[in-house]
Formats: sequence, structure tokens, C-alpha cells
Amino acid sequence: MDYTKQIQEIAAKLFAEDKIDAFVGYRMTGFDKNQVPAIITGADDVSKLVFNDKSVFNLSNYLKHEHTRNKRVGLVVKGCDSRSLNLLLTESQVKREKLYVVGIACDGVVDDEGKKMQNCVECMFPDAVVADEMVGNHGRSGSETLIQTGSETLIQTGSETPIYKINADVLDLGSKDLVQRREYFEEVFENCIRCNACRHSCPLCYCAKCCIDQETSTLYNGANTTSSAFHALMTWSLHLAGRCVDCRNCEKACPSHLPLHLLHKQNEQVIYENFQEHLAGVHEGDRGAFYKYSMKDPDDFIM
Amino acid sequence: MARVGVFVCFCGANIADYVDVPQVVEEAKRIRDVRFAIDYKYMCSDPGQQQIRDAIAQHRLTSIVVAACSPRMHEKTFRKALSDAGMNPYLLEVANIREHSSWVHQKDKKAATEKACDLIRMAVAKSIANEQLHEISVPVTKRALVIGGGIAGIQAALDIADARIPVVLVEKSPSIGGKMAQLDETFPTLDCSQCILTPKMVDVASHPYIELIPYAEVLELQGFVGNYKVKIKKKASYVNFKTCTGCGACWQKCPVKVPNEYNMGIDKRKAIYTPFPQAVPNKPVIDAEHCTMLLKGKCGICAKVCLPGAIDYKMEDEIIEREIGAVVVATGYDMWDPKPYEEYGVGRFKDIITSLEFERMVSANGPTNGLPLRPSDGKVPKNVVFIKCIGSRDEAKGIEYCSKICCMYTTKHTILLHHKVHDSHAYVFYMDIRAAGKGYEEFVKKAQVDTGATYLRGRVSKIYKKGDKLMVRGEDAQIGQVVEVEADLVVLATAVIAPKDNPDLARLLGISYDKYGYLSEAHPKLRPVETAKAGIFLAGCTQAPKDIPETVAQASACAAKVCGLFAGDTMKKDPMVSTINNEYCSGCQNCVTVCPYGAIVTDEVPMGHGSKELRTVAKINEGVCQGCGSCVAICRSMAINLAGFTDPQLINEIVSI
Repeated sequence: MDYTKQIQEIAAKLFAEDKIDAFVGYRMTGFDKNQVPAIITGADDVSKLVFNDKSVFNLSNYLKHEHTRNKRVGLVVKGCDSRSLNLLLTESQVKREKLYVVGIACDGVVDDEGKKMQNCVECMFPDAVVADEMVGNHGRSGSETLIQTGSETLIQTGSETPIYKINADVLDLGSKDLVQRREYFEEVFENCIRCNACRHSCPLCYCAKCCIDQETSTLYNGANTTSSAFHALMTWSLHLAGRCVDCRNCEKACPSHLPLHLLHKQNEQVIYENFQEHLAGVHEGDRGAFYKYSMKDPDDFIM
Repeated sequence: MARVGVFVCFCGANIADYVDVPQVVEEAKRIRDVRFAIDYKYMCSDPGQQQIRDAIAQHRLTSIVVAACSPRMHEKTFRKALSDAGMNPYLLEVANIREHSSWVHQKDKKAATEKACDLIRMAVAKSIANEQLHEISVPVTKRALVIGGGIAGIQAALDIADARIPVVLVEKSPSIGGKMAQLDETFPTLDCSQCILTPKMVDVASHPYIELIPYAEVLELQGFVGNYKVKIKKKASYVNFKTCTGCGACWQKCPVKVPNEYNMGIDKRKAIYTPFPQAVPNKPVIDAEHCTMLLKGKCGICAKVCLPGAIDYKMEDEIIEREIGAVVVATGYDMWDPKPYEEYGVGRFKDIITSLEFERMVSANGPTNGLPLRPSDGKVPKNVVFIKCIGSRDEAKGIEYCSKICCMYTTKHTILLHHKVHDSHAYVFYMDIRAAGKGYEEFVKKAQVDTGATYLRGRVSKIYKKGDKLMVRGEDAQIGQVVEVEADLVVLATAVIAPKDNPDLARLLGISYDKYGYLSEAHPKLRPVETAKAGIFLAGCTQAPKDIPETVAQASACAAKVCGLFAGDTMKKDPMVSTINNEYCSGCQNCVTVCPYGAIVTDEVPMGHGSKELRTVAKINEGVCQGCGSCVAICRSMAINLAGFTDPQLINEIVSI
């Protein structure tokens, strides 16, 4: 998967037609084979853009940056990125008319060792669900039909019907009893240094002031203790429950290499099984299972 | 520095029997910030309140905790006491040590006392963070909506309109009148039902303050007490009421015959019809389910014979929106279908009818010209068996409750039978005779003597056919023997049940209903007319089975409630509403989607101080907010606080124990 040429062409065309003020893509770091996000503000820098299976970061996180906020922006999104973009649109954080979305028909990205990422192996929506223009071909093409028909059609006409795969790590964790699970997380969260890189890297953590940082938040108290880390991470995972799109920006950002996806995948699985197979960000306007009410919602926990 | 006063109530023996009140007071005195604590037998009494007022002045108290019964009962009383003493009434906290402690822990006095102490600690901690709040004034829309045009709805609408308050009366069927319009005579005085009802129906139609919307249903209710918005669907009648003169040429010529609901299906009506001669409005409607013109596009006879040209086959349903301040729900009742009584041969034997069918037959404007006739051969019956409690008081087949009116209407039916067929004989199988009401017992006694009806106490076990007669086998419990009665006609006194649409309506209005589908009152004894939702009231059988006098009384009570609500131009509202901290709000608008009252809108504020760049934040409409707290719970940024239940208050509470 190498779409460098196509993306450079699209970006150059958009700048030439004066459709955008900035373009968000990937560039090489300059000293290794990894890539970093790049915000390009002129046609001169277009040649720096790359896209291949090392383009791991979720770029929708960069829409809250001061160079992109309230500007006309071109943006590259893979399947997972497009779902978080969908949520940002739904939650009124970005305006659709200011965006030119370059959707990727993604074949999955790789980790540092060149192995396909686990979330890409389990991915149900490799193609961008929001796009003005599609790059790559999975048997579907034409951005306009994609936008008009929406993701419902996308799923149905896909080469194969996506199946929800339960994460092996989550299954493993689920087999432990509550005490063991608590012990496991206490041990893991011991290594948290409260740097909040997970929060900064998350495209859906855009709050003006995070509840964890507020003066009244005595529970989180900023101290670097296991208890405060536990509370902060648990609160964070609940605020992302039904919204997390499993892009794993947080895990990539975590300097302590905490298995943060366990929290999110566990929530995702519970919600998928209990709330009409809900998956985050697939449909535009869908705020998530916790933010809407359906007569089909389970109520067996109500006494 | 906070100076809290704690006032612990004995509530007679209600609290003092299970909670050691003097010990609680001693414990309360030990709480930091408590400057004064005292107990009293009845804190809500005037001397009790006086103690609060005196202590506020003497000890310069900054907040008050009353440990007594539920705040639902006396929060208002104590708030009043605070404002009388010159203190902001919202500096009060009530610790509910009755419902939450003494009543639920009657077996363990020690634990109950400890819990009472904890509840007081929490209330004290919360009260320290209490802020001075002020009541909010909201303008009131002085127009009432009445749902249902039976006698309950008619009475409520007339009484409200007589107070010069505009009323919108919505009726499901083409005419108002309801079940009462189907009755012949009414117990216990045997007034002609139509003769006493129709003047009221005419009053409704001609009243300048009543807007009658027949053939319509309520689709949506939004808003809150004093400021509701209602959407009403007016079903297409296919007849232009403005030009129609009500001459009747259309339904006389209409070739389609349909069972007549007004006469319980005993005779036929046409596809274009007025339900009954005294209907209000007296304009026909086309039954779209049966009209061949609407179904197949052929016929059109009614349009041809209509001289004013009032028929309009292209008419469509119309959505009417009205702003209203209060709602009276009067959707009435349905009759239970006796189909489960298979051993009686219901459905197999034609000569078993329900009491409402009997009522229609003996009515002067009924399908049989006022004579009861056997459906099988059209003969006049001699021996008629009335069976009471069909469905009522029957957990196995019907419902558990007593339908209340069947004893009386069956008595009335024996009289009507005696009047119409002089040589007839009535047999009544009954479980009890429940005749509690003014003149009711006398009515039953007199009827028994006058008609000579045979009353048999016991249940009927089986009905079978013998020739063209029905053999009714039952038990006469008073002689302890099985009896068999040869009957020409059997009349089943079927139960009164809630309309099947009630649960849907309740959900639409946001009020509660019970397991039978009756709409629930706010308090079974002291607030029987109100619902738990402010500004929505209940009249008639939609709340529980009732006879006509009770229904009319409740309807008038609703009117009094509505008039009371509309007495001022504005309404005072509790200041417990949400507030948004713009600094924290990220404008995700989750609160907008969860707010059940539509009280949250969006606003644009500068990105930073002096910045020209704008960002979106949420904004609360204080008049609409009901303080439910949904937005507080949904807000990830914790940007929303509910006045009276702010984060510092709740955290204080939690930390205090």
C-alpha cells in the first residue's frame, strides 16, 4: 500500500484550486523509516507528503490544532480515522464544509517490527466512511456515491460482510475473575506516569478543560499514585465508551507502553453485545450508545 | 465560617419510636460547623417553626438542616420558615430520617439511629456549600387542552371556559358525548341520559372560549407546566364542515353498510355517517376504511347528492399546533371483551349479549326502537338472566379490581326490562351488591321490590343450549344448591377497563400509568386529580372506574386546578436549574440531545478574551429547565452544574461520611 503519489497530486490540486488553507498528511521523520503527522500550509511542501503502511497516526486529532481550527483543511483518513472524524462532525467539533476529506481504502498499517497492527487485523471498516475523494480500490470507487449512500450501503456492497471479531486480549482478560482483573490493572497502572499523552493523542479528547484537571476533581487530584491513575484512566475509558474507534493513537503515544486498548476494547465489546451491535462513528449523527435511548436497550439491571 | 442549625423532629412516634432522637441531637452538636441543635415533637407545627426562626436570629445561623420526614412533605413549610426569618429559603437542607431511616429500620433502633446521624452529617456538609438562590418567574400561556370529549372532558372544558380561559377540546371520534351518549337512562334517578347530556354538548359547540377539534388525536406534547406546545392530528373527514349543512342526503344515499359502533354493531351505518342524531358537531365524516370511492376510486354518490359541494375526497390529515398551559386528560374507558368466558358459550350462543348492547337495545334511539330483542330470532325475551362481575374481580380471566358501576347499571337494567317487557322476569347472579353512593342502596332495594327480580348469590358455572333457550347453571350460595335457570336472553355485566391507547398516551404526555393502563394520580388520597407531572390533570374513568356523578365532580376539580394554575400572569418556579460554565463547555451538544424538555440551545462566545474567533457553547433556558440533571450526568467536561445540587455540595456529602 503506497499512495504517496496520489496524495501529493490531490494536495497540489487542492492548493492550486485554492480550496484549502492547510493539508494534514504524513511525512518521514528524517532519521528513521517512521512517519510523523505533517500540517502543510502551501503547495511548496507537497512533495514532503507520503502515505504507505507506516502511516499509522489518526490525523483527525490534528483538527484541533491552531493551524487547522476553523480553517479550510484537506485531510487524509483511513477507515478508523474517518470514524473518529464522523464523531467529531457529530459532536460539532469540526464543520464538514470546511473539510476536504481524502479517504483511503486501507490495507492495514504495520508496527515498528513491520508486523500488521492487531487493530488492522480485526478492522471492520478499512475504507473511509466519510470522504470527498477515495484513494485505493477495494472494488468500490467514486467518492460521491460513497457520501450519498452512506456507510450502510458501504457495508452491504463490501467485498465481504464485516464480522465483529472479539479481541483475543479482551477474551483472555475476561476469563479472569474480578479480583484478578483488579490486581492486573493495578499492576499495569503502576507504570502510569500521569503524563496525559494518551489524552492528548486521542482525537475525541477535545474538552476545553478535562474533568481530570478541574479543581473540584478531588478524586483525580493530579498526584502520581496508582489510585489516581486508576481513577483517571477508568474515567477516561468511560468517557470514550461507545466512541472509541480503536485507532490506538493512545497506545502509540504512551511512553509506559500501557495496554490501553484493553479498556476500550472491553467497553466496545460490551456495548456491541448489549446495544444493538453499536460501533462508534460508523453512521454520521450517531453520538454513541450512551448518548441515545432506544426501546431495545437492555433494562435487566433495573430493579 | 459556616454556622449550621440542626432541628430534629420526633414526628410523634413515627421517628422517635425507632430513632433515639436525643442521642441524634447530641451527635449533631458534635459535627463541626454545627452551632445549634435541638429536637421537637413536631417540627412542622407552628411552635416548631418558631424555634427555627428564633434560633436563626439568636445564633446567627448561615444554613439550616431539618431532620424530619421526606422533603416532598414539608420542604416548602420549612423554606417558608426560613424566609420569614429573613434567610434565603434555599439555605435549607432536609435530612429525611423518617422514610429513609425510622420507617425502614424498625427492627434495629441502634442502626436506625446511626443512619439518622449519617444522614444529618451529609445534610450539614451539603448545606455548607448551599448558595442563595432566587425563584424564577415564567410567563403562563392561559389556554387549556382537554383530551377526550366524554362527559368528563365536556364538564372540564365547560368549567374552564366559564372562567374565561380558552380551551382546546380534542375528541378522537367524529362527535363528542362519549359513553354517556350511548346510555338510555342513568342510575339512581333514571334521568334520560341524552336529555341531560346533549345540552352540555351544545354548550361546548357554542361556547366562545372552547375550540372543539373532533376526529383528532394528540401527537406530541412538549414543554412544561404553563408553557406546553401540543401537536394535534386532525384526521381527514373528507367533508368540509364549513360548507356542510348537515342535511343528511349523503348518508341516506351512501350504498356502503358498516356495523354501527354507536349501537355496538347491532345495526348498520353507512360509510359516510354521523354517529348519532344528536352528534356535536352534527356533520358527517367519511370512514376511509370502508368508503369505496376512497378505496377503489369508484362511487362518488355522496359528492353528487351534496348540494353545497362539501365532499372533498382529496382532503388530507391536518396537523394543528397550539400553545397551552395545562392539560386535562379524560380519555374514559373501554368495556372488557368477555371472550375468555368460553364455558358460557360467549361467541357461540347469539343470545348472550353484553350490558352495553342491552343498553343500546332498550334506548329510545336504539337499533330496536327501545325493545330488547333476542339476536337469534328477534323475539322479545321473557326470562332474562343478568350475570355480574364478568371480568371484574376475576384474577383468572379478567382483572382483579371491582368495576364499581356494574351493580348499579345491572339494577337499572332490571328496571328498564320491567318497563319495556311487563311480563318479563329478571334473574341476577351476583357476588356482592355494592351500592355505596347517595341514593344507591335505596335504588337497589326499590328495584328489587318493584321488578320482583330474583337475586341469586353465586357464580354461573356453565351455560348450554336447550332448544332455543339457554340453560344457565350456577350456584345459589344462600341455599347451598346448584340452580338452573331457563333463559331467553343472557346479559353479561362486563368489566370497565382502561382504554388500550392509555399507555401510549401516557408515554406521549410523560405521565405514569398503572398495571391495568389507568393513568396514575400524584397521590391516591390527597392529590387524586393531579398527575406527577405539573400541569397535567386527570378526569373520569381514565384514572379508575367511576360513575357519572364522580366523573363530573373530578372534571370540575380539574377545572378548579387549571383555574388556580392560571390565576397569575407568571408562575414562580424553583431555581433548581442547570447552569453552564462556558469556560469548560466544549460545545459537543450531548446535553442538547438528552434534555427531555428542549431547555438547552447553543450560543456563540469568543474563543478567548477579546478574541474575534467564535466557538459554540450550550445555553440553558432557565424557564424551561426542570432541574432533572440529565445534562449534568451526560457532560464529560463537567461544565454543567445543577443549582442546589452542585458538585461541591454532592462531594461534601460524600466526603462527610
